Amino acid sequence: MSIIEVRDLYRDYVTKKGVVFPKKEVIHAVSGITFDVKEGEIFGLLGQNGAGKSTTIKILITMLAPTSGECRVLGYNTYGEEKKIRHRINFIFGGELGVYRRLSARDNLRYFANLYKLPMGDRDKRIDELLELVGLSDKADLRTETYSKGMIQKVQIARGLINNPEILFMDEPTVGLDPLAAQTLRNIIRLLKEQGKTILLTTHNMYEVDELCDRVAIINKGKIVTLDTPNNIKAQMEENEEIQKHLEQVKLKEAENLSRITLEEAYIQLVRSSVDKEAKNES
Amino acid sequence: MKVRSVVISSLVVQIKQTYARNMYKFCLLVSPLMSTILLAEMYRNSEHDNFTSYIVLGAGLMSLWGCICFSSAGDINRERYSNTLSLIFISPSSFQAILFGKVIGNTILSLFSVLLTAVYSFVLYRQPIVIENMPMFLVSFLITIISFMVFSIFVAYILVLSRRTEILMNCIDVPLILVCGFVFPIEVLPMWTQYISKAFPMTWSIKLMRQSIMSPSVDGDFFISMTYAIGTIIVYALLSNLLYKLIAKRVRIEASLEMA
Repeated sequence: MSIIEVRDLYRDYVTKKGVVFPKKEVIHAVSGITFDVKEGEIFGLLGQNGAGKSTTIKILITMLAPTSGECRVLGYNTYGEEKKIRHRINFIFGGELGVYRRLSARDNLRYFANLYKLPMGDRDKRIDELLELVGLSDKADLRTETYSKGMIQKVQIARGLINNPEILFMDEPTVGLDPLAAQTLRNIIRLLKEQGKTILLTTHNMYEVDELCDRVAIINKGKIVTLDTPNNIKAQMEENEEIQKHLEQVKLKEAENLSRITLEEAYIQLVRSSVDKEAKNES
Repeated sequence: MKVRSVVISSLVVQIKQTYARNMYKFCLLVSPLMSTILLAEMYRNSEHDNFTSYIVLGAGLMSLWGCICFSSAGDINRERYSNTLSLIFISPSSFQAILFGKVIGNTILSLFSVLLTAVYSFVLYRQPIVIENMPMFLVSFLITIISFMVFSIFVAYILVLSRRTEILMNCIDVPLILVCGFVFPIEVLPMWTQYISKAFPMTWSIKLMRQSIMSPSVDGDFFISMTYAIGTIIVYALLSNLLYKLIAKRVRIEASLEMA
């Protein structure tokens, strides 16, 4: 069953340049895309900067109006029936914005728990669970202006999960996260999928898409280039001559590095063992 | 019940966020002192000798307006820059309730500046603060607070729609002090500006406050001013409601919730 339906979606941005005789400039961010996301699916939107991924997500989370076309989330139109959608979805944007920097992580979450109308009795328990999940329990009462980029991103993740959403939209959620935190987020995404949540995410990280997504749409200049499972997309391209040549070169390099682990794997192991050591010393 | 919780939590967040800013502390604590000294010196050799009406009240209202106006305006922009404006706008709670909570938060904090003005005036100039009709003064003060809040909400909606918030705020800050008669009666202004003055609820509520400070009795003129004050408050509240319906659509079409 489709839980997100996008039909022939267009979105333009109109900007004005000049002071005396301002000239209108129209930027076509999304140019006629159509896709569906099924319930319980992790769906990826891949594309370069400016391809139209974030605009598509912003229309789906009811932040922007479409110029034309239709988006339906949970069966409701995102422009006109947004009140029926907003309490059932949430979103996580990458980057270090989107938090009240003079408030603590706990106060930020408490405020959004109220805005998402969580029952008072469940609110503090839910906040504690989320702080634990993202690993911020011990720093929860410090002002977020003292946080690193990655810690702010963790507050964003916790905020995005505050209402236990049926659909979670993520716009480059691992931007600014160190490999360990990125892996934690990927684990959270898997956990959410196990709980039957639907996730739509945009990312530049191909490894992430390959590892997490059930299906992927590749967007370029506001149009969908292809939409399929990561394996099918790879299979489609395997017959391409240029890719074959490239693959052979890659295979040669891989053969050289076969016995080695990746730098990311080494980093995660080193950080984990140092954390374990510290914990042992403390106990 | 849930609306009340949204209003209260927005109010608390607003007070915590705002009071943490040093610039706001300056507006709240130092600005009333400067306004008091400035007005006292201006009125020193004038024919008007009502200290409470023009110096204490004038400086208090200037500080109150400065805090409410710049805090409300600045906050919309700060929320826009930190990407929280879009988060609260698309939350399941009513944006009207959120903004109402924020404006109440600002007003509660700003009221402290009025109190400080009275303290500064008394300490610096040793003049008695005389209010001839205290019950009516309290009623007028309440109406003034409501008129400031309703006007702030109206302005805040415009600011949600536009990214040029600082320009707009600087354009209305001082003119409103002069046009609404914060520091002198509007009757000294040209006739055509008096028509503009009468369109603002603060003009009427300030007139009410001044009447209650200077006269122990309540006459027909007092009730006419009160009717106009309440009438303009209702008009601005209705206009704000209409404006909200408009901006709820426009901000999503024009993508003005975030910085471009």
